Amino acid sequence: MDVDPRQYEQVTINEDDIHSVVLSYLVHNCFKETVESLTTCTGMKQPASCCEDMEKRKRIFHFAAEGNALKAIDLTEELAPDLLKENTDLHFNLLTLHFVELVCSKSCTEALEFAQSKLAPFGKEYVKKLEDFMALLAYEEPEKSPMFHLVSPDYRQSVADSLNRAILANANQPSHSTLERLIKQIVVVRQLLSQEHGKDTFLPFSLRDFLKS
Amino acid sequence: MGGVEDESEPASKRMKLSSRVLRGLANGSSRTEPAAGSSLGLMARPLPIEGDEEVIGSKGVIKRVEFVRLIAKALYSLGYEKSGARLEEESGIPLQSSVVNLFTQQISDGLWDESVVTLHKIGLSDENLVKSASFLILEQKFLELLDQEKAMDALKTLRTEITPLCIKNSRVRELSSCIISPSSCGLLNQNKRNSARARSRSELLEELQKLLPPAVIIPERRLEHLVEQALVLQTDACMLHNSIDMEMSLYTDHQCGKEHIPCRTLQILQSHNDEVWLVQFSHNGKYLASASNDRSAIIWEVDENGSVSLKHKLTGHQKPISSVCWSPDDRQLLTCGVGETVRRWDVSSGECLRVYEKVGHGLISCAWFPDGKWICYGVSDRSICMCDLEGKEIECWKGQRTLSISDLEITSDGKQIISICRETAILLLDREAKYERMIEENQTITSFSLSKDNRYLLVNLLNQEIHLWDIKGDFRLVAKYKGLKRSRFVIRSCFGGLKQAFVASGSEDSQVYIWHKGSGELIEPLPGHSGAVNCVSWNPANHHMLASASDDRTIRIWGLNELNTRHKGARPNGVHYCNGNGTS
Repeated sequence: MDVDPRQYEQVTINEDDIHSVVLSYLVHNCFKETVESLTTCTGMKQPASCCEDMEKRKRIFHFAAEGNALKAIDLTEELAPDLLKENTDLHFNLLTLHFVELVCSKSCTEALEFAQSKLAPFGKEYVKKLEDFMALLAYEEPEKSPMFHLVSPDYRQSVADSLNRAILANANQPSHSTLERLIKQIVVVRQLLSQEHGKDTFLPFSLRDFLKS
Repeated sequence: MGGVEDESEPASKRMKLSSRVLRGLANGSSRTEPAAGSSLGLMARPLPIEGDEEVIGSKGVIKRVEFVRLIAKALYSLGYEKSGARLEEESGIPLQSSVVNLFTQQISDGLWDESVVTLHKIGLSDENLVKSASFLILEQKFLELLDQEKAMDALKTLRTEITPLCIKNSRVRELSSCIISPSSCGLLNQNKRNSARARSRSELLEELQKLLPPAVIIPERRLEHLVEQALVLQTDACMLHNSIDMEMSLYTDHQCGKEHIPCRTLQILQSHNDEVWLVQFSHNGKYLASASNDRSAIIWEVDENGSVSLKHKLTGHQKPISSVCWSPDDRQLLTCGVGETVRRWDVSSGECLRVYEKVGHGLISCAWFPDGKWICYGVSDRSICMCDLEGKEIECWKGQRTLSISDLEITSDGKQIISICRETAILLLDREAKYERMIEENQTITSFSLSKDNRYLLVNLLNQEIHLWDIKGDFRLVAKYKGLKRSRFVIRSCFGGLKQAFVASGSEDSQVYIWHKGSGELIEPLPGHSGAVNCVSWNPANHHMLASASDDRTIRIWGLNELNTRHKGARPNGVHYCNGNGTS
């Protein structure tokens, strides 16, 4: 059920605002070519951190999302030298991606050595997390172990996302795209509205349903 | 026949059994079982020694096979290997099946894989048990490999042998962390020196023994455990158990005689001029305080031979003394004159250090706090007050907290104050939690006494009964003691003896009464006094000494019945009278 259109029909939206929302999304996700065609078509200015940086960030993101963490780390070091030093959580998570790769490819010896040399030195605060990963080694089929979520693509994706955000933040750019922020706000507002109306039959706002309607 | 209750010949029953086993009649006991007709009939019956009877013992509940195996196990653990082996051979009952023997051997030798195979051959019906045991064995294999720095082999064991058992997932997790950091090995590592992760193989074996059913592997020291159980039960059942260094013998059932309960007057102390109302030993048992209607209190000294002599006579009160209380360090004494003042005395000099009073009111009872810094007293306006040693009042509980005649006691943690607040109720006031609870009786309460462990309260009632209350947690009436006579006066009772296992009380029939606390059995009334016995105190440091205070103006010291040559200076068979000048 949608809000009565009469309540918001009067609101005018600037075309340029819409364009910049779309643009920020594209930039955030490194769709370089799409950015170029959009700016050409709409006559907008190309954002400052275009081309090169975006290209580099894109490569880093893809390496991380594929699980090639070591490459991603190297490139990150080149792009933003102190980034990983300051974000130890992120650094640890990236290294675990590599560890998971080794485990999944059944290279147990290397996985063990990697864990001992690279992960253990992170110290006491990471012990619990490390134990989670070490437990993967005990299973011949890690996907069936209690820690199966650590070998899933979802995990890789979330680490890649946080790396992306960290790089953006480091370059003084917003770490969340405008579109994302707007949608999150909409969801919250709609939910508050439906609560206020207090209708029992009124379902909580579902973005998915809204998009389908 | 009365063979069971006859205490003078407790061994007769034992001898009957032994006569059957030893193939000989014991001393011409005419108490043989009539079943066989005559004493010869016993001989004619087939003796069960080489028989195949499955059960042995007079009650027929002991299985022969189990009995023999326990004995064999005990022989082995005592180090008598040859005897153990011989027993197995002669009886035809092996201690353990050969499979189990092989299993234990393989464990000790560290042949892990082979032992797991053997484990399956033992024939355990419970799958989970087999898995748990396998887990323990493989865990040991894993940890020993780690200790030998063979991390990859250990990892392989973990992956291919341990994890597939699909049990104890959290332990699997711990083990995998163990490869990197030894400290996360968990419980096993608690008392290990330096960085060894695996425990000893004998510890593993013990753990396996506990896991597997006892019929398969007999637990270590089982026979010793059964015997100890029997000894403990005998001690608990012994109602006259009052000496610490009682040796328990396996030859006869343990049963103390009355020779360990004080029941003979050893001394009569005659220094008071009027009825003696109270006696109380100090915590260290070296002094005795007595209080009397003659308005004085006396501190007596108990020397190492147990003889009591007068140390100081404390005068100064203008009224009869209703309560005395030793300081926690026994260096000072509080006395309370009825409806008058409380005085604090120094024990070694006999000096009165301070007088406490409350203007406009009389004080009726007194008590020390366990830290010795504060004292507490009951006031005639029914309130209870707490003050420091200088007399400065710290706290006061108004309202009906106590009665005009009441005991006052404080628990040894200093938290609860106990007094009689109504005719039929005792108040337990928690000082910190500001919380009050009451014990309700349906008879008038005359006095009470707190046990040393703060767990029990002994309550004397108007109807001549003494009730024992358990005050830990919810209040529960645990036992009643009957027999004493009381009609007009306040009679006091106390706990005493080894582990405070006895209750003693005075009585108006001039006797001292002693009961066994646990069973409620009256052990003995002790005659001797010629007037009502008002109060009894059992020496906390010497379980064989009791003191009683009586209307006949004397205090009697009671001790053991027989000449005890352990005590230095055996005393002659007479009674010592003490007039305050030392022994006469």
